[in-house]
Amino acid sequence: MMQFLGKVGAVLLGLALVLAVCLPVGAVEPIKIGVLGPMSFTQGEGHWNGASMAADEINKAGGIKVGAQARPIELVKVDTNEFLSVPDATNAIEMAISRYNVDFLVGGFRTEAVMVMQDIAMDAKKIFIGCGAAHPELCTKVTKDYDRYKYWFRLTPINSKFLGKVDFILLGTVGAIMKKTLGIEKIKVAIVAEKAAWADPIVGIAQKLLPAKMGMEVVGVWRPSPVAKDCTAELAAIQRAGAHIVFTTFSSSVGLTFAKQMGELKVPAVAVGINVESQKSGFWEATGGNGNYAVTINTYARVEITPKTIPFYDKYVKLYKEAPNYTAGTYDALYILKEAVEKAGSVNSDKVLPFLEKTDYIDTAGRVVFDKSHDVTWGPEYVTSIGTQWQDGKIQCIWPYHWEKVFYKGTVPFKMPPWVVEYYKKKK
Amino acid sequence: MGLVGMYFRRTMGILRKEVLVLPSRVAVLVFIVALMALPIFTQDYYFLRVMILTSIFAIFAASWDLLSGFTGQMNFGHALFFGVASYATALLNLKLGLPPYFSIPLGAVGGVLAGLVVGIPCLRLKGSYLALTTLAFPIILTGIVFAIPDITGGELGLSGLSRLTGSRVLDYYLASGLMLLLGFAMWKITDSKTGIILHAIREDELAVRTAGINTTRYKLLAFCLSGFFAGVAGGLYAHFMRLAGPSGLEVGLSFQVIIWAVFGGMVTIYGPIAGVFILYPLMEVLRVVLDQFPSLPEIRMFIFAGLVLLTLLFMPEGLIPWVRDKIEVECPRCKVRNVLGRQRCRVCDAELD
Repeated sequence: MMQFLGKVGAVLLGLALVLAVCLPVGAVEPIKIGVLGPMSFTQGEGHWNGASMAADEINKAGGIKVGAQARPIELVKVDTNEFLSVPDATNAIEMAISRYNVDFLVGGFRTEAVMVMQDIAMDAKKIFIGCGAAHPELCTKVTKDYDRYKYWFRLTPINSKFLGKVDFILLGTVGAIMKKTLGIEKIKVAIVAEKAAWADPIVGIAQKLLPAKMGMEVVGVWRPSPVAKDCTAELAAIQRAGAHIVFTTFSSSVGLTFAKQMGELKVPAVAVGINVESQKSGFWEATGGNGNYAVTINTYARVEITPKTIPFYDKYVKLYKEAPNYTAGTYDALYILKEAVEKAGSVNSDKVLPFLEKTDYIDTAGRVVFDKSHDVTWGPEYVTSIGTQWQDGKIQCIWPYHWEKVFYKGTVPFKMPPWVVEYYKKKK
Repeated sequence: MGLVGMYFRRTMGILRKEVLVLPSRVAVLVFIVALMALPIFTQDYYFLRVMILTSIFAIFAASWDLLSGFTGQMNFGHALFFGVASYATALLNLKLGLPPYFSIPLGAVGGVLAGLVVGIPCLRLKGSYLALTTLAFPIILTGIVFAIPDITGGELGLSGLSRLTGSRVLDYYLASGLMLLLGFAMWKITDSKTGIILHAIREDELAVRTAGINTTRYKLLAFCLSGFFAGVAGGLYAHFMRLAGPSGLEVGLSFQVIIWAVFGGMVTIYGPIAGVFILYPLMEVLRVVLDQFPSLPEIRMFIFAGLVLLTLLFMPEGLIPWVRDKIEVECPRCKVRNVLGRQRCRVCDAELD
């Protein structure tokens, strides 16, 4: 009998030891953050990469201090597949909330999908920092129905109204330089926008604004397909029309084709505007160097927007072998959340909310202060976004260049394509 | 009490003689009971959302079968009916303040009108010409949606619609109840004299016309009926998602409905319903499974496509007809179905092969 009891005791002791070794003593509950995005696409990758980088850094530094306890971040990858299916996106966010019990949400890209995901997050009273969709309506909802939509914030990109503003500032800046250096009296502009709904308002405004407010002449509007493989007909017509500037509005692959062929044909004009393809690291190789001198609005470049930009940019390139796109702003979203949670001493949305509203944080893209609609404030001293130009194989920041006293260290002057200078010198 | 007893005995009689004699009918009974009992076991928000969307898409897939499967009018732009109804429902709800129980049926009338708009010019078209023409309609409507953003909300769509019922469990019962009801209605239509004519139009339209039947009228009827049922699905979707947007008109949705219907088995009504009930939750199962392997790339769509392709390769008539043929046999004399293994037909007593 004693022998039997001894055996049972030994087994129990062994079990206790195994449990003691296996179970983490006083395991700290992580703070779960759902990263929403179309993970099979570059936008989703940007969301995930930015958030992963921030989570690693924060965890290595001890995590987020909630009261007396330091809690690590656990990221939950939420593939919304929103390009292909809006219902899929809603299922994904519902799962993140109800199954994984995430404390916060960051990301989102396609506006229509974000609208529905926003509603689901608001139903669950979860703070959702948008890092992808630019439509102003997402934030207008906060002012219209604060009690319901107060948990929504947008960090990146700047809203489409300000994107449009920067677009025209870039156009005006390049126009002024051309006027001065080439002695052109009246700048002629060719408006070239991909045939897509989002580009329509820009075209409409440009047609009115350029002659009426900016003293420029519109020589024509061209609307190639977003996936056009040949733009030579448009480029020939633009050249015939005598345009000095080509005002581009491209988010799709046509941006690559257009920039490549414009360089190949040495069209005596400068391309300025939105060209998402030219924001990517692979643009130079993809155009065989012919995309040289293309100017676009951008969020990141290797320039000192804030002291955090270059370290972030370099580390991102080192880790992921590409430049960060704007959806990588999830990096900043996590730091902003960290600050608000630490001040609140809680992960409860209602407790974190007032501190998030009072955010005044220098992130990698500028100084973040949320306005009444929980949108990021745009302008000098805040987030401005930047203008970049490809200059001999390097993507360089060319704007703001002493605009409204804003100058980011590392910004270089805009470079005129040499064949444009030559063309107008000969013409004289 | 006697009346209740009589109904109970009659129900049991039907169950014993009509339902329990065939495995496929037992499966349908089990499916209905399970569907109705589900919220007793779980009220998980995520799970119920998936099941609500499954029911909505099941109505949508069955409505495609009603038109394209039964009548042979190959519609590659079925999202048009869904999208028109969802926009109509949203406008009725947002502009006129109509509650869902008015806006959804009235929105479905929008689907009927869309059926007429598509049906009339397509009456003389067949095969690939018809398929391509129907494909064009939702694309045209998407253009219109973007052209008048003041009314349609442009790329954002129309948001902020009233909730279906305000409770996830009630939403579930409404969607699944309507799915069962409308699925049964569609099945009864195809099982009626009208259904036989629709069958015949698909097989040999000329012969049907020779028999003195106005095929034009029946084809238009199929377009309108299909538009109505797809419209109910569109209206339910708009109120459940609280949004009617351009994604409801996308080509991808039109193809998705064909995949569901063909996978489940065309010309059956219940086949497409089963197709959605297998494939739609399967995508979510894949999401859960793949979440355990974060290092794996996002290959849900790839696995989904591979599975559908393999199924259709080995089961060209769809999954449900294949399964049914494995467990049941048709009487060579009276065409009534019997459970596999029976020696003689349960109705005419003919010898079964």
